[in-house]
Amino acid sequence: MNEVLLRAEGVGVRFGGLRALDSVDFTVREKQLACIIGPNGAGKSTFLNVLTGTLRPTTGRVCFLGQDIAGLPLHRIARLGIARKFQIPSIFPSLSVAENLSVATWAIASPSRSVGELMELVALDDRAATLAGELAHGQKQWLEIGMALAIGPRLLLLDEPTAGMTPQETLATAEMLLRLKGEFSVVAVEHDIRFVRALNCETLVLHQGRNLVSGPFHEVEANDTVRDVYLGRR
Amino acid sequence: MIARDRNWLLVFFVCVALVAIYPFFADGYRLTVIRDALIFGLFAASLDFFWGRTGILCFGHAAFFGIGGYVMARVMLDVAIPFAGLLGLVGAVVGAAFVAGIIGYFLFFGGIRGSYFTIVTLAMCVICQQAAISWSSVTGGDSGLIGIPPLEFDSGRLHLDLGQDLPSYIFVAGVVTLIVFVLWSISRGRWGTVLVAIQDNEVRAAALGHNAPLRLLATFVLSAAIAGLAGALYVCMAGLVAPDLAGLLLSTEVIVWVAVGGRGTLLGPVLGAFFILRAQQVISSLNPSLWPLVLGCVFVVIVFLLPDGILSIFARLKALLRAGSKAP
Repeated sequence: MNEVLLRAEGVGVRFGGLRALDSVDFTVREKQLACIIGPNGAGKSTFLNVLTGTLRPTTGRVCFLGQDIAGLPLHRIARLGIARKFQIPSIFPSLSVAENLSVATWAIASPSRSVGELMELVALDDRAATLAGELAHGQKQWLEIGMALAIGPRLLLLDEPTAGMTPQETLATAEMLLRLKGEFSVVAVEHDIRFVRALNCETLVLHQGRNLVSGPFHEVEANDTVRDVYLGRR
Repeated sequence: MIARDRNWLLVFFVCVALVAIYPFFADGYRLTVIRDALIFGLFAASLDFFWGRTGILCFGHAAFFGIGGYVMARVMLDVAIPFAGLLGLVGAVVGAAFVAGIIGYFLFFGGIRGSYFTIVTLAMCVICQQAAISWSSVTGGDSGLIGIPPLEFDSGRLHLDLGQDLPSYIFVAGVVTLIVFVLWSISRGRWGTVLVAIQDNEVRAAALGHNAPLRLLATFVLSAAIAGLAGALYVCMAGLVAPDLAGLLLSTEVIVWVAVGGRGTLLGPVLGAFFILRAQQVISSLNPSLWPLVLGCVFVVIVFLLPDGILSIFARLKALLRAGSKAP
């Protein structure tokens, strides 16, 4: 087994009287792919915010390579090697595609990929001078994934990376991630089941803030409780 | 080289050439008028360096101009200080940068942005002006300090007396040209691009590993330092310093210069300061009460018709001509 990269222990989050998460455990190992799925309101995004250190858990803790990351400034977390793609495409609309990626490579000492390689990777090499704000939605999503890759992450966290994509784009995104497998770990929060099926990896199912089931996707998919939750029978 | 940079350099060199040949046509008085306008142009460029790239408006930039001016005046008026000119300039720059550093630290790292930043800096400006009025043992109170000797540099062989019109004009023109060019180089390079990224989406920039508050703070401090330098130069040339130089009116005027000249262009604000100050003199000589009215109207017209400033008139005309030639 590979070394443990990220470990969340007994994570609980309360917003006033609302219990968004309740003692969730989660482990990501070096170079592992993992997905977090669950119906709306299950606490997926909250959990991802805890994993990226932007939200301090009410109980429990999150360690990245043994270091507690709760409450660290965002740029410090990025420099530890945690890259993040936000749910809404977060790019720099008034800069060109090439400038967007350049800004991403400038923040770290030794970028692993050049801007040219990154543009090729996310299939935007013919749009280098286009303003990022003028890209199509799917291209913006890819550009942001490219920016996250630019910092040479050890862990890539994706919040609904395929939201608003066509089915073809969704599968292409899954293929890209599978191609990059072996470079870093990926955790994706998603509710597009086609995407998760294409990745076919360790899957954590959240339901009402709790860890419902976890295991390889084909097992999770076959699980009766999970089917009930998704079909709304529970 | 991209077209935007080429156009900028073209306008820049035309302006430098005009400034360079002006002394052959003008008498001493006219030179001093242009010289003072250039100093205010430098002040406007310093505000634009911060406002133009970060999108955050500082409504109290005159505070830094005033701090620079008062530091310079105190140093120059003290006969015991050697190399007063040089020390005064350094002190003015450091003093303004220091105040900006303290205020900026708490604002940027405290997450204050946008209009809240504008309001706090506005209050800072009011405080500075009040301090200048009330602390009369140092600042001379309401009437300020007068009789400040002109700059003089003496290093053995080279003797530079900036009390005369032509040397002071050349000195100021050189300083302004150099600083505007350096600011432009910074703002079009890596530093400026990251600032635009932070303006677009600060959380995204931070999540890529950029220390956004620190970068904003450094930009603000540099901007304030140059405003302090402009204040120091002005005080030496004018020979006096008064609380107005740290006041809200000047803070407002510099914003108008930048807005009229074109935010984010660095050169536009210098031209904006230049033309508005000239217009102020001409119109005030016709009727003193006419000027505020004209200034207000010009500001409103520019903001509505040319929101990117007077320099954008060329781009606008080009777009209009193209649209006209395409129309059937």
